[in-house]
Amino acid sequence: MLSASGQDRSPFIRAVGRALPPHYASQEQLIAAFRELWATRHFNLERLEDLHRAVQVGGRHLALPLEAYPPLVTFQQRNDAWIRAATELSETVVRQSLDAAGLAPSDVDHVFFVTVTGISTPSIDARLANRVRFREDIKRTPLFGLGCVAGAAGVARAADYLRGFPTHTALLVAVELCSLTLQREDLSIPNIIASGLFGDGAACAVLRGAEVPGAKGPRVVASRAVFYPDTERIMGWDVVDSGFKVVLSAKVPGLVKDHIRGNVDGFLAQHGLTRGDIRHWVAHTGGPKVLEAFEEALELPAASLERSWASLREVGNLSSASVLFVLGETLEQVDARPGDWGVMMAMGPGFGAEMVLLRW
Amino acid sequence: MVERELEVITEIHRIVTDELEWKGAVEPAQDLVRDLQLDSLGLTVLAVGLENRFRIRLSEEDAQGVRTVGDLARLVARRVAAPADAVSEVGP
Repeated sequence: MLSASGQDRSPFIRAVGRALPPHYASQEQLIAAFRELWATRHFNLERLEDLHRAVQVGGRHLALPLEAYPPLVTFQQRNDAWIRAATELSETVVRQSLDAAGLAPSDVDHVFFVTVTGISTPSIDARLANRVRFREDIKRTPLFGLGCVAGAAGVARAADYLRGFPTHTALLVAVELCSLTLQREDLSIPNIIASGLFGDGAACAVLRGAEVPGAKGPRVVASRAVFYPDTERIMGWDVVDSGFKVVLSAKVPGLVKDHIRGNVDGFLAQHGLTRGDIRHWVAHTGGPKVLEAFEEALELPAASLERSWASLREVGNLSSASVLFVLGETLEQVDARPGDWGVMMAMGPGFGAEMVLLRW
Repeated sequence: MVERELEVITEIHRIVTDELEWKGAVEPAQDLVRDLQLDSLGLTVLAVGLENRFRIRLSEEDAQGVRTVGDLARLVARRVAAPADAVSEVGP
């Protein structure tokens, strides 16, 4: 995207760090831990185990050891644990990302912090500032509630900012500790599926404005948000006394199938491109049905979403952090050539989607 | 058997109303997918609810012949009458 003076104002993605909490449980360990709880209400436990296995997640990293979860009963207990773990994981991932970019905390002008799994005031970005010592004029934008779309939307909003401040550096920090939202007493099927799918993790994208000397990496050429009217009950939280109770509809894959092709084609056409021009697809991991819907609706060549599938298998759906995990792995593992086009895409509560056009 | 089927239909009505935000009536001739607008998650919620209430197991094979509320009520009533049939079956 060019400025009035003809200069390319597209910001650069310099690095994307990823961090996982130290505690890991395989899917079978988690099923064993849940089984006794499920038996208090459900008769056919094999069906529930199959639901857990059907999401194709091998295991999850957890903010706390498994045995530390049962004593957490109230919203306050869960959220206090979330604040502690989210602050620690944020610090880890920000330091890692800045190191990878060859930058110091004092180089950062703006922090965008996204999450949907806990609340905090001051927000985690403020607690982070006290730990890593950003400059005193650091600008902070905490964003709560975008859910899974916030990884792509956060990159888009950070890039919007850097078009206005092309000499600046921005961080997008996404921290999601889904395990600390789990309502163990909610034995509904949507909650049981969610407890099989979502994991904990954090990611941090380092973005630099077009006029930063020596800035490099793929550029964020453009982005486009899409809002789907009257879909509020597709996904989200019902906030209850004990915390966040998941709202999850089976209509998500159908929405992807119905809309994403038209959304992507329209977005690319604005830039004189078609799907055939895109070499790198960076998709939110969602779940198996969402990834299949992406592949089918966009008629993607085999293995186009392999990194998304691998991430889903390895760590589960990390909500907003997931698409950033896939982006980071794309940056590090893919032999991208100058001029290659890429599309990052995610969907989340609203319901809505965000697409980001990348160019190497 | 008919009495049991009526009991199952009452339970189907309760599940779709309480857990699946269905606001209309529930009749034996209604198609589960077309009329009650149940998607894969909704069908799973319904199956789990019936399994819990009647202490039975419903299999994927069972589901092949089930299209309507009446079909489902007859299947559940059969399972209640002969639960041993289903012990070795595994749900979807």
